[in-house]
Amino acid sequence: MRLREQSLNATETITAERAQLITRFYSSREAQGLSAPVLRARTFEYLLRNKAICINEGELIVGERGPAPKATPTYPEISLHSIQDLEILDSREKVYFKVSDEVKKIYSEEIIPYWKGRSNRDRIMERMTPEWLAAYKAGIFTEFQEQRAPGHTVLGYKMFRTGFLDLKKEIAAAAAALDFRNDPQAYERGEELKAMDIACDAIIMYAGRHAEKIESMASEEKDPARKAELKKMAAVCRRVPAHAPETFHEMLQHYWFIHLGVVTELNPWDSFNPGRLDQHLWPVYKKEVEGGTLSPDSAYELLGCFWVKFNNHPSPPKMGVTAQESNTYTDFCLINLGGVKPDGTDAVNPMSYILLDVIQDMRILQPSSMVQVSRKNPDSFVHKALDIIKTGFGQPSVFNTEAIIQELLRQGKSIIDARNGGASGCVETGAFGTECYWLTGYFNLVKILEVTLNNGFDPRTGVQVGPKTGDPSTFSTFEEFMLAYREQVSYFADVKIRGNNVIEKTFAIHLPVPFLSLLLEDCIANGKDYNAGGARYNTTYIQGVGLGSITDILTSIRFNIYERKRFTWNEMLSALKNNFEGAEQMQYDMIYNTPKYGNDDDYADAQAVSVFEFFHDAVSGKPTPRGGIHRINMLPTTSHVYFGNVTGATPDGRKAWVPLSEGISPFQGVDRQGPTAVIKSASKIDHLRTGGTLLNQKFSPEFFEDEGSYQKLTALIRSYFSLDGHHIQFNVVNAETLRDAQKHPELYRDLIVRVAGYSDYFNDLGEDLQNEIIRRTEHQDF
Amino acid sequence: MKGLIFSIKKYAIHDGPGIRVTVFMKGCPLDCWWCHNPEGKELAVRMVERIDRVGDKEFRSQEQVGHEYTPEEILSKIEADRVFMEHSGGGVTFSGGEPLMQPVFLRETLALLKDSGFHTTVDTSGYARREILQSVMPVTDLFLYDIKHTDPEVHRKFTGVSNELIISNLDMLLSEGKDVMIRIPVIPGVSADAVYMEQLRGFIESRNNGHIKEINLLPYHKTGSSKYRRFGLDDRMLSVSQVSNGHLDDYIEILKPLGIHVKKGG
Repeated sequence: MRLREQSLNATETITAERAQLITRFYSSREAQGLSAPVLRARTFEYLLRNKAICINEGELIVGERGPAPKATPTYPEISLHSIQDLEILDSREKVYFKVSDEVKKIYSEEIIPYWKGRSNRDRIMERMTPEWLAAYKAGIFTEFQEQRAPGHTVLGYKMFRTGFLDLKKEIAAAAAALDFRNDPQAYERGEELKAMDIACDAIIMYAGRHAEKIESMASEEKDPARKAELKKMAAVCRRVPAHAPETFHEMLQHYWFIHLGVVTELNPWDSFNPGRLDQHLWPVYKKEVEGGTLSPDSAYELLGCFWVKFNNHPSPPKMGVTAQESNTYTDFCLINLGGVKPDGTDAVNPMSYILLDVIQDMRILQPSSMVQVSRKNPDSFVHKALDIIKTGFGQPSVFNTEAIIQELLRQGKSIIDARNGGASGCVETGAFGTECYWLTGYFNLVKILEVTLNNGFDPRTGVQVGPKTGDPSTFSTFEEFMLAYREQVSYFADVKIRGNNVIEKTFAIHLPVPFLSLLLEDCIANGKDYNAGGARYNTTYIQGVGLGSITDILTSIRFNIYERKRFTWNEMLSALKNNFEGAEQMQYDMIYNTPKYGNDDDYADAQAVSVFEFFHDAVSGKPTPRGGIHRINMLPTTSHVYFGNVTGATPDGRKAWVPLSEGISPFQGVDRQGPTAVIKSASKIDHLRTGGTLLNQKFSPEFFEDEGSYQKLTALIRSYFSLDGHHIQFNVVNAETLRDAQKHPELYRDLIVRVAGYSDYFNDLGEDLQNEIIRRTEHQDF
Repeated sequence: MKGLIFSIKKYAIHDGPGIRVTVFMKGCPLDCWWCHNPEGKELAVRMVERIDRVGDKEFRSQEQVGHEYTPEEILSKIEADRVFMEHSGGGVTFSGGEPLMQPVFLRETLALLKDSGFHTTVDTSGYARREILQSVMPVTDLFLYDIKHTDPEVHRKFTGVSNELIISNLDMLLSEGKDVMIRIPVIPGVSADAVYMEQLRGFIESRNNGHIKEINLLPYHKTGSSKYRRFGLDDRMLSVSQVSNGHLDDYIEILKPLGIHVKKGG
């Protein structure tokens, strides 16, 4: 708990350590003339050899990405911060990073002169077409790989049972098997394997540096209890990650070194993730507790120390659009609990409950947590999760194991790989330890509608961004209008996919990740990098945003223009242009007297299904250069706020620049029939053809307090899941609390709310997002 | 055949077992001072003013309170939430108002729902002719039965009618072996006191034949007052305060010896 306080009180800062080391290495003689994978491996090795070793007071699990907790490195090879960027990071009110004069000096003297024009961001922007750039600037889509590397991947079973010395043997075997006579790619494979081998040595060396430092601390330590702890910690760092972990302590430290390796090599999205932690830890915990080598209390203390490690690592600093689409310190490490075992049986074990206790007691932002609920899991497991959810902390979120497995099977995974999978990030389905799944950007379904209303023109940027699909007033039927919208969706999906395929190549060629590749099967066997298609499965996602809003908009057009003929196209378009100034009666009818998504009303929900199908068909199945397939997700993080900010008034009565609906949830306040109707509406789209959907349901705390309420909520969850719903999360807060928090932020430093697919400190949210959460909280008494 | 309904509420979790849909029917022969559904009183359609806001602008419109439904229309509304009922052991509850005020529609609708496999509950004041109650008994799985007061005079003062018919109907239901949950409004100045709770315990004890499945204490809430204003009705409870949780716990203690589960709220 002391470590927890330390972590909560630490300030987020920028450290120039990594940027400086990488710049020195890239400009050294040593770095010249190497193949890309070997260059990246040598860079990795150089970083781990030279970065400061930080051991915090009282901790049992060691290792920091920067020289101190929350000291956050930068990744100039991905995206270079200007001095002005650093000043913005330093001075912005929310999600800030303090930047010292020393850091700015290093940046202006060493980092910027070397990297200017040479970061991958520069490379990407230079290669994008004018069409892509116009759409990007208009806010039609975002680009994930613009400031961060591809990640979204999770450690599987294998690496919890494998040491890096074992991997070195695998690498040697793969290298020996290279066929230089028949395999035209043998050279590339050889270089990749060489790089992987260097990365193995590097991480072992890095653990050794920790052991040395701890040993020297132990020799000076006066307190005999701490001295004993330090000696044990040093012994652990001598064993893992070189060898497969054998004890509970080793297991956690082993993972943590791996985590640090991944987030030091590059800045992948969603940091990294131990995945099915209850499955990995339970056997060794049981063995040790039964054998008397571990007490439950000391295991619990180790878990607390482990948890704090995640919280010490804010998401790398984001700028501009990237900051807006994911405006949070959270780095989306999502611990999975429950689900099923590889043989398909109930996977809930005592460790699942212990970890839920840890989540409840720690009550910190990171790591995020979720429960996988299979029909095979007992209700008591769900009830335990509800115990934590009801405190309004927004964790854990609740996932449907059967849906996840079916989604994975549909994508061609084996049944075992599917059962070993889960969700990472916000809600993204993945086969853990075997799949490389990139998210590439949010896709603004509402903005595309606005562009359709304007015959391909974007009123905000004043640019013809899309094809001329016709002046809406010339469409005599709703179906004709829908064809035009569909054409625009397909056009922008094509622009995005073309961009994705170029960007994917830039990573494969210039930024291989030999360390991350060690962790994902079958990169070693294939002699291929994670970023080049080495993993067993490869998927690329585009995330649709604003399903609730677009449904209400299309329903309003169908109902008010074509069926009720309440107003004409010209009346509506001019009202939208004037942001409903002087057309309040029309806005009122759109809001109050038009069918809405989220009420189990087939009239409205039909449009949700159509849009889902358009979007799915425009994206799903398109190939990617690394041998993957494009697929869709429906999740927003905070992009629904950004996308709202670039989208004018819309025919659902929404005023210009107001946030869109999030995930597949209804627009705020329009669901008037309670949670069963929301669930019914949300399950009309086919979740199983996505890689994840996000449904946010707000409840006042009273729903959790009555006797029998847990059974009813559990039934509600199980009902949704029987309809193939992918995920549901509960926000349990009252508006009064939130308003008070706005007035007295200092009293609510630990107030965590569910945003969308993740939780965040209320204080760290922008005022508009805070207001939105208050508004949606007020609507919970349907 | 149509019934006059003023509201259909989904995810109703306080009106019987599991997740339910509650159908609120218009018309009530009682005139309880603390009624929190005053819009259910008259068996007639009524127009009231609705005020909606868009920004700082107010929009006034006439809202119809009370809509006619056929039993089949009710069935299709209920059918939409079947999955939730099946997972939770829930069903449908008819409340009001007093559902027995529209007996033919009620019986027909209950029969249709039972035929379709739904668990049926009727939430009633018990103030109806015996034949009417008997007519819905075969198609009702559970009765939520209000005992507003055991004393006939107090009952008459605060509800406008005597409780004799109500009590004899309750006895009839129990003797016919129907399952009943007894609901006790806990009203300051009427029933919210320990002496009354002891008296009530005696009243229930003498009838405890195993079919009283639960006792629900329904504490007075001021939630009705804004509705009274909206419907232009006189609120006789303005000076009445809410019941404290501590007092409710005391009353539960008093009723405990009955051996019947006592629950706060529905």
